[in-house]
Amino acid sequence: MAKKPTLDLTKYVRFYEQMVYIREFEELIGKEWNNAAAHGMGGYMHLYSGEEAIAVGLIGGMDLTAGDCFIGHYRDHGYALAAGSDPGEVMAEICGKSTGCSKGKGGSMHICDAARGFYGGYGIVGGNVPIALGLGWAIKYRNQKNVCACFFGDGSMNQGAFHETLNMAQLYKVPVIFALENNGYAMGTSIERSHANQNLRSRVDSFAMRSVTINGQDIFEVHEQMAQIIQEMKDDPHPVFVEFKTYRYHGHGAADTPVTQSTYRTRDEVARAKEEKDPIKFAQAKLVEAGVLTNEMIADIQARAYASAEAAMKFSDDSPYPDPSELIKDVYA
Amino acid sequence: MARLRYADAITSALREEMLADDRVFIAGEEVGQYLGTLGVTSGFLKEFGPMRVVDTPISEVGILGLGIGSAMAGLRPVCEMMRMDFAMVAYDQVINHAAKIRYMFGGQFKVPMVIRGPSGVGRQLSAQHSQSLEVLFAHVPGLKVVVPATPADMKGLLKTAMRDENPVIVMEALRLYFEKPDVLDAILPGLSEVPDDPDFTVPFGQANVLRTGTDVTLIGYSTMTIQCLKAANILAQEGISAEVIDLRTLLPLDMATPIASIKKTHRAVVVQEQWGLYGCAAEISAQIAERAFHDLDAPVQRVTGAFVPMPYARNLENISFPSEHDIVIAAKRTLGR
Repeated sequence: MAKKPTLDLTKYVRFYEQMVYIREFEELIGKEWNNAAAHGMGGYMHLYSGEEAIAVGLIGGMDLTAGDCFIGHYRDHGYALAAGSDPGEVMAEICGKSTGCSKGKGGSMHICDAARGFYGGYGIVGGNVPIALGLGWAIKYRNQKNVCACFFGDGSMNQGAFHETLNMAQLYKVPVIFALENNGYAMGTSIERSHANQNLRSRVDSFAMRSVTINGQDIFEVHEQMAQIIQEMKDDPHPVFVEFKTYRYHGHGAADTPVTQSTYRTRDEVARAKEEKDPIKFAQAKLVEAGVLTNEMIADIQARAYASAEAAMKFSDDSPYPDPSELIKDVYA
Repeated sequence: MARLRYADAITSALREEMLADDRVFIAGEEVGQYLGTLGVTSGFLKEFGPMRVVDTPISEVGILGLGIGSAMAGLRPVCEMMRMDFAMVAYDQVINHAAKIRYMFGGQFKVPMVIRGPSGVGRQLSAQHSQSLEVLFAHVPGLKVVVPATPADMKGLLKTAMRDENPVIVMEALRLYFEKPDVLDAILPGLSEVPDDPDFTVPFGQANVLRTGTDVTLIGYSTMTIQCLKAANILAQEGISAEVIDLRTLLPLDMATPIASIKKTHRAVVVQEQWGLYGCAAEISAQIAERAFHDLDAPVQRVTGAFVPMPYARNLENISFPSEHDIVIAAKRTLGR
């Protein structure tokens, strides 16, 4: 963590607010899942609760209006919200509505926002990682002072695509942040059961790539470190591998119920993580201690975040499903 | 008009488009310093530099990811597969990503990239370097699939592919790469001729009537178009007038040209190098049955490759894919001869 006196605490109050907004958005989806069909929700539903500090701190360190960009995986609602996408359009996409960011054709796993440099969420584990190489290549090709962030989970690191990409990224010195969200589980398979070498960061040493480990539950550490790394990448283009240690509160997806979760983790483990590692509680305590966040402000942020999520759901509920004529559109440019 | 080999037509198209559009770059194995495995990018590294002629590791997934991401960001990548068989290593990037990105993000992105490389039977390259896998791409919405047979089409279709806004798979006929212009012109006068005009292109989705005839329609693409032309020459000696149609692209697929021909000849033979089961010829035959059943005087005949991995031994290889004689036999069968 950087030296406290230099922290721009106003910015962190904003980050805190963004994290609360994402949390309320995800928790509302979780709550409304009981009534999913009525909203248009179906299929899988991967919620980001517990991991908010990574998206907010990292995306908050990029200049999306000046050409920085990022690409994600299927747990992607939080990325869009962190980038400032309209919550209504994100919720409408999750509900398969015509007003969704992907016109209701992509759904929860395929949120995107071209105007904000969000090149989308992808459903093939590890499949988005090679695409980040190309996004970084385009930055280098045009001599832009920009970076691309690529989010993926610990499961992606066991895909061949990951290793081909990191080798080439280092070979070509493309400015890509390979952001590992290590939440300990690839769906229901723990790191212990899937990685021969459980020191995941050390797995990229073979590519001679710069790497760092960051506590992904600490927004201050995430953002201060990433802001500095991003600046260094812009001054001297190179890839960086970042291991964010984090934890996911919900099941892998909606189909991963408390019953299926019991096959790989205990309720006690989840409860302890929520108590001890929560990124929002952590930020809140620090900001209150620093005197820039009051109980009144906390209640206000909480209320506005909840209202924002509700408004997003209402926008979605009020939106029509795609017209049948949309079925065959957008296959080709 | 220049008389070119098929491989020279590839070089010409790539070079002209690279000169015309600085967003175009080529990435692949041995494309630069090694001068290209088959020489089509010879001299390119020196002329265009390492950012535009990118030597890659043997990492097809990485090569195609490089292409997809940079295409989404506005560049015009040409990803070379040393053999199209190797694209199977990166099938996920093509099918699950390149083909889907436009649709699943509701039109917010486009992926203007070319994936190209030699395809089909060569000479004794055996099971893993001889396949014609175009059907695996032509089955998938979001892709375009180009299968040129002549040097002019190779050049014109590749240029169109490089200007297209979508992922285009260009399956180049390895067997035709180094066929000499004299050999091609002996099969059909003018077959090796390529227009000099740098703006010469060939549109997608327009089949070409390479030879007109009245008795039977031979439908092929890629190397099999040349086999059809050879068969038509043999049939002509026996007094049978065969019309030869080169499909040129499989996706989009022009069926209007073959159907118009069949309304005239009332007989059709569909030829493909790949395995017959579920192949392109099956699709084309089905469309003929749906759209021209009452115009047919005989069942549509398919001539396809043997349903085996490609053997190495020269004699076995030679009988594993359709010869002009196989096509002649099929054509005669439609005529009851």
